[in-house]
This record gives sequence, structure tokens and C-alpha cells, in this order.
Amino acid sequence: MFSIFKGLVGSKNLNKNDMIPVLEKMKDHLISKNVAADIAIKLCDSVAAKLEGKVLGTFDSVATTVKNTITESLVQILSPKRRVDILRDCMEAQKQNRPYVMTFCGVNGVGKSTNLAKICFWLIENNMSVLIAACDTFRAGAVEQLRTHMKHLNALHPRDRHGGIEMVQLYEKGYGKDAAGIAMEAIKHAHRENIDVVLIDTAGRMQDNEPLMRALTKLIRVNEPDLVLFVGEALVGNEAVDQLVKFNQAMADYSSNSDPHIIDGIVLTKFDTIDDKVGAAISMTYITGQPIVFVGTGQTYTDLKALNAKAVVHALMK
Amino acid sequence: MVLADLGRKITSALQSLSKATIINEEVLNGMLKEICAALLEADVNIRLVKKLRENVRAVIDFEEIAGGLNKRRMIQSAVFKELVKLVDPGVKPYQPVKGRPNVIMFVGLQGSGKTTTCTKLAYHYLKKNWKSCLVCADTFRAGAYDQVKQNCTKARIPFYGSYTEVDPVVIAQDGVDMFKKEGFEIIIVDTSGRHKQEESLFEEMLAVSNAVGPDNIIFVMDATIGQACEGQAKAFKEKVDVGSVIITKLDGHAKGGGALSAVAATNSPIIFIGTGEHIDDLESFKTKPFVSKLLGMGDIEGLIDK
Ligand SMILES: Nc1nc2c(ncn2[C@@H]2O[C@H](COP(=O)(O)OP(=O)(O)OP(=O)(O)O)[C@@H](O)[C@H]2O)c(=O)[nH]1
Ligand SMILES: Nc1nc2c(ncn2[C@@H]2O[C@H](COP(=O)(O)OP(=O)(O)OP(=O)(O)O)[C@@H](O)[C@H]2O)c(=O)[nH]1
Ligand SMILES: [Mg+2]
Ligand SMILES: [Mg+2]
Repeated sequence: MFSIFKGLVGSKNLNKNDMIPVLEKMKDHLISKNVAADIAIKLCDSVAAKLEGKVLGTFDSVATTVKNTITESLVQILSPKRRVDILRDCMEAQKQNRPYVMTFCGVNGVGKSTNLAKICFWLIENNMSVLIAACDTFRAGAVEQLRTHMKHLNALHPRDRHGGIEMVQLYEKGYGKDAAGIAMEAIKHAHRENIDVVLIDTAGRMQDNEPLMRALTKLIRVNEPDLVLFVGEALVGNEAVDQLVKFNQAMADYSSNSDPHIIDGIVLTKFDTIDDKVGAAISMTYITGQPIVFVGTGQTYTDLKALNAKAVVHALMK
Repeated sequence: MVLADLGRKITSALQSLSKATIINEEVLNGMLKEICAALLEADVNIRLVKKLRENVRAVIDFEEIAGGLNKRRMIQSAVFKELVKLVDPGVKPYQPVKGRPNVIMFVGLQGSGKTTTCTKLAYHYLKKNWKSCLVCADTFRAGAYDQVKQNCTKARIPFYGSYTEVDPVVIAQDGVDMFKKEGFEIIIVDTSGRHKQEESLFEEMLAVSNAVGPDNIIFVMDATIGQACEGQAKAFKEKVDVGSVIITKLDGHAKGGGALSAVAATNSPIIFIGTGEHIDDLESFKTKPFVSKLLGMGDIEGLIDK
């Protein structure tokens, strides 16, 4: 009598077989939300390992238990282990009488230049003067694109509101020149002119293109920026993993430095184009362990947000 | 290359059928699981993958079919039919006609590679002695006109655009009219990047399309795109009459499986693929030969036709 009763509502040890159908569904669900396939699998495996043998509470079903555990893992993945506080670090650099230097890198067309301009806007709103270094010397129109942004930004923040200081300047040497050299000159220029921040725009490049990846590594090695931001678009699927792994790997392998500078943080762009398919946020942070420092949510200067981990996880689990 | 890697994985999954001594539900499920995993890793839309699995399973009735060889053949051909459906919408792409203006409008998501591909396509026709030119109807993106100008100047492609006019409809119309009068044969219209979530951008695309009356609208898709492709591609097709697809950035590591869902969503064939940033990094894509090449991979053609 008692044993039957216990079988109905009593506690139960979870085993893998109970979880398989639920996990299988969960994996497909995550993939449908654009989480990279092998990361969805790894996530589900880790949940299975975590739950195996656990005693199920009286009123808990396998499904809700799995769901809750996945939700917890997702929140954890998205919660930064390290805070990147750019304004604080800029002020620190000011005290040392040197410019704070940020480099933007990533594959083609993801939104490096546009989000650099948005971050520039945010910096000047916070009263930092900025020098944009036009180090994409390859793509047609890349320099003019930055010049246009500079003009727009200066029109939004005219000199007379900033004690006669031009808030944004452009350092450019046209096309075809060595990007690392231009970045170096730009930093020197900013030093001389007491400009607070240098934003280095680089050309888009495919992660498998060795010459271009070597050139990026060189730019980072010789200029030692304070922050290297990887720009990736929320539209990207399974490639997110390969991009980040190979950008990091190139920066490590092609640098002669024993302590090479790899990616410090991520800018996740085009977040406004994906509805609830927010999985790229998970793929990117899972692979690097690096924080998503900014989220791009549109094509205007104010479309720059901080990541809301809870909202992302909510969209993922919906 | 699109699907090439995938083709290999599928071949190996199909070979597991040949190795199995008896073919039962378990063997079939194992094989389908392998194939679906490969498709998902290549970013193929999950709904399409599920449909593929169901369609293959629907064809195979273990009760009815008897001989092992027969079963193998049925399964293999069912899988391939489904794979072919992914790349082949079964419609012919628009073919430009010599001696008269052919207006080709480019549309797509932000940064997918439209402007770069516009120049590549104009250059492709230029080399074949078509009178081709480019109209820059992107007044939004900073430096867009400079990009077109520099690309076209380098490749000696006539172009039209404006630094002062802000209405892309006006530019598109004026540019196309001008080039038509001058007897150009391939008139390519580049437009701004846009996405379905911003209705005003979609209205603008429709207005440009109405103004220039394109003979073909090309939807440009980045090979790295994941599961969001289908929704976007469908929305573009619902707004304007997309007739062809170009997949860009296939020189990278991406398999382009995500972009393939644009084929299904727009019911339009892939006509070119982009394989680099330079002007001649454009390859024609012909569905039928591609499919037979895919079928030819491994021993599959042999397996099906016997
Ligand atoms: N909807 C949307 N579009 C964006 C966002 N960020 C950038 N874009 C658009 O994406 C396109 C490409 O942006 P760019 O900044 O030129 O990209 P990039 O990475 O610098 O490109 P390359 O330098 O050519 O590699 C432009 O049309 C931008 O307006 C965003 O957050 N949302
Ligand atoms: N590696 C590679 N890069 C490409 C290819 N096609 C385009 N690109 C690059 O992708 C980036 C974006 O290309 P654009 O032509 O500016 O894209 P778009 O669609 O016109 O962008 P918007 O007008 O801002 O929407 C540039 O850096 C191009 O050089 C390709 O096939 N391979
Ligand atoms: Mg750029
Ligand atoms: Mg463009």
C-alpha cells in the first residue's frame, strides 16, 4: 500500500533515460533559437550530468527540472565573470596622461564601423574626446564612411558645448597603407593632442585568411590597445564558434608575445533583426567566456545597449 | 563550397546503410539522425530539417517493402530527393536579354554584401561585352556612394548617384532613366540594407521597386547566417518580387546552409556565389549541375540509379 503511494507522488531518482526525450526536445529548441548545434548539445549534456541521480522533488516533473536547470546554466553563461568598465578605464588613462585605445575587429560586414561610431557617440556624451583611426585601408568607401560619422557626431556635439574642443577627429591616411602603422601614428597623435580615447577601425576579414589574420595580430601586438573588441552579428549561426575560436587562436599563434592579447569582449550587433532567435549571444559567450560589452540594436547612434541577460534567457526559453 | 562538406557527411551516413546487414527502423533512424545533425551544423533551417526527416520516413514503410536492397535504394533516393529540394526551387532564373535594358535591383539585410556584389555582377557582364552600369540608391549608409564610386571607377563601370539627394526613389528613377536613354543593357540598382522589423525600410524598398520596375530582384544573403534567415527571406519575398538569390562570403569557413533557406523561402534559385572581396570573386551557380555534382559525390549516383 505504502510503496504504491510512494510510486505515484513520492521522490524519484533521475536517470539519463528519463531525461533523453526532454533533452532531445530542449536541444532542438535551442537550435531553433540559433544556438550553435554543438553548443546546444554540450549544454544539454552538462545538464544531464548535473541532474543524473538527483532526487526529483515531489511535485516536479522531469521536464520542468530540466528546463529550470538549463535556464540557470544560460543565465550563468551570460553573466560576465569580469566587468569591462570603459568609462572608468578611460578616466584612469586620463590620469596617466595617455589615450585609452580600443580596437574593433571581426569578419566582413558585421557592423564594426557603425558600432564604433555609436560607441564614439556614447563616449562624447560622457565628455570624452575621441580620435577615430581609419585602419580599414582596403574596403572601398571605408574612410569616407568614418568621415561622415565624424561630421555627424561633431554636429551633434558642437565645439561651443565643449569649451571649444572638437570632440571627434579622424586620423586617416587613405587606402592601401599598412594598418598597424596608421594605428601607431594615430595613438601618437592622440597623445600629443591630449585626446582621451582612440577608436581603431579595422577591415573585415575571414577567420581563415592567414595573411589578414597575421596583419590584425601585428596591429594589436605593436600598438597594445587597452581593449580588443570582437564584433559579431546576432544573425550568425554555427559560424559564431569558428570565428571566435580562430580570431583568438590567430592572435595567440601569430603573436611572438608569450602573453598575447586576445579578445577582451564582444559587441553583438544587429540584435534588432533576429526577433527571439537570440542564440548567438549564447554561442559567443560560451566559447570565449568573455562578456558581451555592447549590443547593437539598430542603425542610429543611440541604438547601443547593455546586454540584459535575463531578457535574453527569457527569449531563449520561450 | 555550399553543401560540399555536407555532401560528404551525408555520403558517409548513407554508406552506413550499405554496411548494415539488415535494414530496420533502427538503422534508418540512426542514419537520419546523422544526416540531420550534419544539416543543423551547416545552419540549414531546423524546420526544413525536420520536414526532410518526416518526408523520408513517410516514404519508407517497413511493413510493405521486402528486399534489403530495395529498402536501401528507396531510402537513398528519398534522402536525395529531399536534399535536391533544398537547393533547387524548380524555377528558371531570369536571363538578361541582349540589346535592351535589363534592370536588376539588389536587396538584402545590412552588410550582406550587396554593394560589393553589385560591382562584381556589373563587371561580370562588362567582361562579356554587355553595356553595364550601376545606380547607387543607398542614401542611408555613411559612405555608400563613395563605396560605389571607388569600386566603379576602378573597374571602369559607369555609375550614377548623388551626395545631396536624400530620396533613394528619386535617385533610382533618375539613374535608371538616364542609363536606359543611353542604351545600357545591364542596369544594376544597389539599395540600402534593411530588415523586416523596420516597416518604413520595407516600404522604401517597395517604392524603389515600383519606381524602376526591375526585370529581376536579387536577394543577397551572407553565407554565415543562421536560423534567422528564413523569416527575413520570406518577408523580403512578400514585399517585393525576389527572383534570384546570391550567397556571399563563401570563401570563409561557412557552409551556407542557413542561406539556403532563402531558396525555399523565396522560391528562387541561387545564380551566383561570392567567394572573396575582390571584383572577380564571383562564380556562376547553376542548380542542376551542382546537384548532379553533389549526387556524384561518393558513390551516390551509382547507388540510386541501379
Ligand atoms: N539593423 C542593424 N543594422 C546594423 C547594426 N549595426 C550595423 N548595422 C548595419 O550593418 C551594415 C554594415 O555595417 P558596417 O559598420 O559597415 O560593418 P563593418 O563590419 O564595418 O563592415 P566591413 O568594414 O565592410 O567589414 C550597415 O548597413 C550598418 O548600418 C545594428 O545593430 N542593427
Ligand atoms: N570575404 C568576403 N567578403 C565579402 C564578400 N562579399 C562582400 N564582402 C565584404 O562584406 C562587407 C560588406 O559588404 P557590402 O557590399 O558593403 O555589403 P552591403 O550589403 O552593401 O551593406 P549595406 O549597404 O550596409 O547593407 C565588405 O567588407 C565586403 O568587402 C565575399 O564574397 N567574401
Ligand atoms: Mg567597416
Ligand atoms: Mg551597400
